[in-house]
Amino acid sequence: MKKIILSISIATMILSIACNQTRKNEKMKSTEASEDTHDHSEHDHNTTKTDDHIIEASTIKNPATSEIIDSYLQIKNALVTDNKDDAAKGATALLAAFSNFDMTQLTDSQHKEYMEILETAKEHAEHIIKSPIEHQREHFEALSIDINDLISLVGTDRTLYQDFCPMANGGKGAIWLSEIKDIENPFFGKKMLKCGNMQKQIN
Amino acid sequence: MNKVFKRIGLLLFISVVGIQFIPTTLNESDNVLSTDFIKTYSPPKNIKNLLINSCYDCHSNNTKYPWYNKIQPVSWFIESHIESAKTELNFSEFGNYSTRKKKSKLKSILSQIKNDKMPLPSYILMHKESIFSKSNKLDIEKWLTELEQSTISYE
Ligand code: HEC
Repeated sequence: MKKIILSISIATMILSIACNQTRKNEKMKSTEASEDTHDHSEHDHNTTKTDDHIIEASTIKNPATSEIIDSYLQIKNALVTDNKDDAAKGATALLAAFSNFDMTQLTDSQHKEYMEILETAKEHAEHIIKSPIEHQREHFEALSIDINDLISLVGTDRTLYQDFCPMANGGKGAIWLSEIKDIENPFFGKKMLKCGNMQKQIN
Repeated sequence: MNKVFKRIGLLLFISVVGIQFIPTTLNESDNVLSTDFIKTYSPPKNIKNLLINSCYDCHSNNTKYPWYNKIQPVSWFIESHIESAKTELNFSEFGNYSTRKKKSKLKSILSQIKNDKMPLPSYILMHKESIFSKSNKLDIEKWLTELEQSTISYE
């Protein structure tokens, strides 16, 4: 009996080490592939220049972020239609999604940045839950940076578009993520629905 | 009827006096942390004064209390404000924030000032000197924007 338990535990240890290894390799490959996008998201979030060509960025195909992305998009779509209450619901769902996220799958090097993203993203979600729509939008600008960085960090299996509106964020510009190719601006809603352009396709 | 009023009055009086004896914790500390915002970014004197006079009472580990903080329930009111203000933003510990959080807080600070949301209205009522003039506002916004764009960049 003891022998069986011992060999099972050794086998799982070897397996888990092996899995970790492949994940690291995957991550390395994908950072090479998305050098361009990675640069922008790490250093300067708002100024990915658009030279009229769309950058296609591939990320790690990771379904683990799907629930987070879905609730983010729920907030986005609520703001597009100027719906404060639905935005708040999306933010509540986002908090739940973050607590459901399995952090044990993160590598040590991912863990630190993940925790920083988690801290600010949660704050933004909490403000979106309790604030009037203008304030929701301010926090949504910052939340979009967090979610974008989360995707560069751990990946997604969704196809997403990174859009940019130069008039948002007090004229300094801000990005958001969308599941559709058309521009539908969450920072201004009806007032300026078409403001913005697509900068990048993810997957 | 009269008796009832008297009783209620007496009860109120006793409780108002009574709560004066409940100890309060003061938000005061003698040393300025190395993570302090002003210590870290050494703003010019005028900006420094604006921040200290208008924000530090609530958003730091050091409150300059008004005399009426000695009276309950005023001090509870002030204490709860300071507590929630510090969870949002603590200038004394700003240096400990992650780069991401620093950026996010600077963005919030700028928009709160721009939209006249801070300092809080209830504070302005008692601290007329904390209101930013138009030129004060422009000065501090300019300085904060530069800080946002230059000093605090992602490493
Ligand atoms: C009387 C106390 C008080 C003063 C003075 C004060 N604040 Fe606040 N502040 C608060 C409280 C309480 C909150 C949290 C609750 C809220 O959002 O109303 C807060 C929240 C904030 C937030 C987060 C806002 C958000 O929702 O994103 C920022 C940023 C901020 N304050 C900046 C400042 C700045 C800058 C100053 C000085 C110009 C200042 N505050 C002065 C009490 C104060």
